[in-house]
Amino acid sequence: MGALARLPLARLVRTPRPLLVVAAWCAVAVAFALLARSGGAAHGADHALVGAYGALVLPLLAYAVVGATLDARSLAASGVPLVAFGAAPTRVAGVTLAVAAAATALLGALLACAVAVIAHGSSDPPLARDALVSAYAGALGGAAYASWFALGASFGRRGGGRAVLLVVDWVLGATGGAAALVTPRAHVQNLLGGVPPLGLSERASATGLVVIGAVCALWAVRRAASGRSSA
Amino acid sequence: MIALEGVAARRAPLAMSGLTLSWSPGVHALLGGPEDGGALLLAIVGGRERPRAGRVRVLEGAPTDDHVRPRIGWVPLEPALPDALRVGEALTVAARVRGEPARDPAERLAALGIEALAPRRVRGLSPEERRAVALAEAVTSTSVRVLLLHEPRVGIDPRAEPRVADALRARARDGATVLVATASVREAGELADDMLVLRAGAVVGHAASIEALAGGARDAARLVVVCSDPRALLATLAREAEVEALARRDGSVVARGRDPVALAKAGARAILEAGVDVAEMRIEAPTLDEARAAAAFAATAAGGAP
Repeated sequence: MGALARLPLARLVRTPRPLLVVAAWCAVAVAFALLARSGGAAHGADHALVGAYGALVLPLLAYAVVGATLDARSLAASGVPLVAFGAAPTRVAGVTLAVAAAATALLGALLACAVAVIAHGSSDPPLARDALVSAYAGALGGAAYASWFALGASFGRRGGGRAVLLVVDWVLGATGGAAALVTPRAHVQNLLGGVPPLGLSERASATGLVVIGAVCALWAVRRAASGRSSA
Repeated sequence: MIALEGVAARRAPLAMSGLTLSWSPGVHALLGGPEDGGALLLAIVGGRERPRAGRVRVLEGAPTDDHVRPRIGWVPLEPALPDALRVGEALTVAARVRGEPARDPAERLAALGIEALAPRRVRGLSPEERRAVALAEAVTSTSVRVLLLHEPRVGIDPRAEPRVADALRARARDGATVLVATASVREAGELADDMLVLRAGAVVGHAASIEALAGGARDAARLVVVCSDPRALLATLAREAEVEALARRDGSVVARGRDPVALAKAGARAILEAGVDVAEMRIEAPTLDEARAAAAFAATAAGGAP
């Protein structure tokens, strides 16, 4: 497993362009947090997390991380070099997806924590608790988004389905209706303190993210293993 | 070690059907152009292409079995290598994936004279260097028992090219089965112990060597002599019984015959008799079309399909 993780990890940390994109999105989140702080908003952390971080930065950060891990190819095609050495396609796809999910979860958690600390307002929950809960929501949301985009990357010769799922998340996730329940966006917003979709509890949204992540991951790996979109 | 039973496959516009073949340890050539199916056969044996019908057995299993897959080394014209890694790291990863003990990557690359590539990024390699690295990985892997190579000496790093034949023979002596798909009759003759001649997805013949292949046709062997007086040489060659056809080509004399060795001897006699100065004298391998014709002729003479 460790050997299979080396390629996606190397793509992530050694390719300058995706690193710059990730850094840019992190900078955007921090900038919004600083704006909220300078405005002296009583619920600064809530605003920054629900607004810029949850709605914009986390999905695009996950999109960039998944793209970098797959080298902007489809999930199956990204694993072809390792499959050529004799690795099982299922295992290659699974490990690649796990690397993307772990990286997005880590980045999502750290960034959410940073935003919560920087933008913390007088009426926000206690700082330590807010930072911890935000990190938890960022990690869970990041991992779910990674699976979501990995599933997208299993469609299309160059994984173009990733962009389609970004739009689907944006459009359906913003409706707040039943259709929003199948997207990570609605649940992430709920966990970060936004409007709950169909009045769901935070616990239900957390479960929703786990289910979305698991279903997308299994589906994506299955598609990649069957060699679909491996050109 | 490799067995195909009634295999049918299709990669438009090519179609193969009813192929029943087997290969044991050694170096074997699949002689034919891209449109003849050599590359498709390699992909089928390597588990990269699923046959429409029939059964493929490699190392006592299906090529896609988890215990078989790491024991197959497949080097197509454009091999996939892990772009983000260094060459040395890529070889280390390959060894771990194949379940081999760790070895110095530079030492492995040295088998093809390309050890200097070890610290380079795969992404920065030229296509020729990539091919050489992929070939070095497959050839030096201790777990690989079946090597599937498409034109192993075409488009490859010039440092590696002269070492390919020896490396493949060493693997064959070691008990590996090496299949080489090539459009070059000379390449097939130099690399392989035997050759299967393909045309448009069908097997048109089988031969142990170029000589055996050439022997199937009346004038498949060809002697080319570049000399000071082609007209005089033509006259003396015309009297040699082994020479079945004669022609002049760009200042050289081309003699055709059935047996390349007898043709060479006849050429030497004719040169001495004509007293010409020889700048170059060579036996040319038959072209792919000539090889196919010879194989078909031999099959017909043997009384049926190959």
